[in-house]
Amino acid sequence: MKIMGDFGGLGIFFVVTLIFPITALIPAFLLQPRHPTKQKGIPYECGVDTIGKTYVQYRIGYFLYALIFLVFDIETVFLYPWAVRFGALGLFALLEMFLFLGILGLGLWYAWKKGALSWK
Amino acid sequence: MMNFWAVSTEILILALMVAALAMDLILPKEGTRRGIAYVVISGLLATLVYTFGLYHTGPSMTFFGGLFIADNYALFFKQLFIVGMLFSVLFSMDYVEKYIESPGEFYTILMSALLGMCVMASANDLLTLFIGLELMTISFYVLVGQRMDDKDSGEASVKYLIVGAGSTAVMLYGISLVYGASGSLDFVVICRSLQMFFSIGLAGVVLVMIGFFFKLSVIPFHMWAPDVYQGAPTPITALLAMGSKAAGIAVFMRVLYTAFPLLGAYWLPVLAVFAAICMVGGNIMAIRQTDVKRMLAYSSIAQAGYMMCGIVSADIAGMKAVMFYAMLYVFANVGAFAVLTCVETMRGGTTHRHMTGLAQSAPILAAVMTISLLSMAGIPPTAGFSGKIYIFTAAVERGYLWLAFVGFVMSMISVYYYLLVAKAMYRDLTPEEEAENTAVKIPFAVRATVLLSVIATIGTGIYPELLASLTNLASQTFMR
Repeated sequence: MKIMGDFGGLGIFFVVTLIFPITALIPAFLLQPRHPTKQKGIPYECGVDTIGKTYVQYRIGYFLYALIFLVFDIETVFLYPWAVRFGALGLFALLEMFLFLGILGLGLWYAWKKGALSWK
Repeated sequence: MMNFWAVSTEILILALMVAALAMDLILPKEGTRRGIAYVVISGLLATLVYTFGLYHTGPSMTFFGGLFIADNYALFFKQLFIVGMLFSVLFSMDYVEKYIESPGEFYTILMSALLGMCVMASANDLLTLFIGLELMTISFYVLVGQRMDDKDSGEASVKYLIVGAGSTAVMLYGISLVYGASGSLDFVVICRSLQMFFSIGLAGVVLVMIGFFFKLSVIPFHMWAPDVYQGAPTPITALLAMGSKAAGIAVFMRVLYTAFPLLGAYWLPVLAVFAAICMVGGNIMAIRQTDVKRMLAYSSIAQAGYMMCGIVSADIAGMKAVMFYAMLYVFANVGAFAVLTCVETMRGGTTHRHMTGLAQSAPILAAVMTISLLSMAGIPPTAGFSGKIYIFTAAVERGYLWLAFVGFVMSMISVYYYLLVAKAMYRDLTPEEEAENTAVKIPFAVRATVLLSVIATIGTGIYPELLASLTNLASQTFMR
């Protein structure tokens, strides 16, 4: 059938990506020496000992910042290929890019106005 | 260069959405947001007038390599969505001011839901369909939870999100199987592919249909509908019942007729049985409801059943009947929900108890409610009668006599629970109730909405040719 022909290669790729980490992890699991101490059991945070509980609530502000960061992220993703091929794309693409930037700018304006950028 | 005229309606709606968002930012923080509603209403009115100019004969405009088609069929449904949205915004201005915390965002997301519906109506391949569907439903997840003061609203939103995500997954899996079997997402290519007759293609068709059944709240995939309808803000319930459902019907019909017509022998009997289950179950479960919103949720399940009767006939007559019925269902819904919204704003609820004595305190609202409900039940001379005649005639002509019979019997049963509401409004009051029955002040916008909806309902009932000729025009460019 058609599916087997076209997507068989992709299927093999999936199988390989599944087998590869398993073959790497299982021998390591079987061969590793086990000498657990309390020092080894604590969570690793850049080599510094953890202070207090690890289950804490994070400020919602972090997520808002992450979302706004995403706006600029997407902007870069689309701006870069457009800038590289600018000569071939022409005026139409220029107008479209300004439309795109306008929509992104509106989003940022919205976030700013609603107070997502102020750290309370 | 791509033909941007094909998407001009969508561009107008998108501009309206941006305008609503920008106005929300420009207007003073503590001031009223009524201005946005006026801008949205006038913008939608202009768009509606504009769309009449897009009706055409001959080949339809397409966009993006035929993935998006602007034929008369799509145009008709777009007008239906715009009319529904226009009136919902019109009658809910006071409600929004009272209950919705951030009206600017509310109107913006309303426009994005409308945009999603329009994309759905124009979808000419499964991916465009999916994008439109998701744009609409994700907007509705947010809109359903807009009542910050009401726990039920949040609960409804989460329920809708979870069931919606599940049904989306089912549909997406179906789409992937259909793609696997036919090698394309384009409806016309899918139709031509012989591979669709193999089990994998059929499995895909089944899953796509189940996805649609979830969105149309067809029994037994309806369990989310009553809670969501009851918990959502009343204008949003109205839009779920008319806009979201009509969008689902529009695209469902297009998929079945253009992508899977050769598989009709498989899906026609299935659809007929589900239509019957819907009509019986929806009407019987509606009988015991005392909250009018919840009753209308079950009634909308039954209405989806009636519309599926039209789809089952699988010809031009059936398609026209479904379009006719969807449009008059919008008229009836606008009337009923305008009254409900007004009552909820004044009295704080939508149960039979809140409706009591409406005939004395606001006779016009009581009359409109009764006429709208009778139209849903299909009593002459309202539009519902002619709509049901068209649908059942189309079904009988294709040999589904039993289905039409079930429909007739269940319509008679539905009169009972629709008239229970009328009874609550018109019955004699005890002296204590009389004292409590304060006068209801009806804003001008609501008065205009209910009058227009009644004129449309009665007018279409007495003179159906006008709407029928529009559906005629709409179906002309459909079958190629």
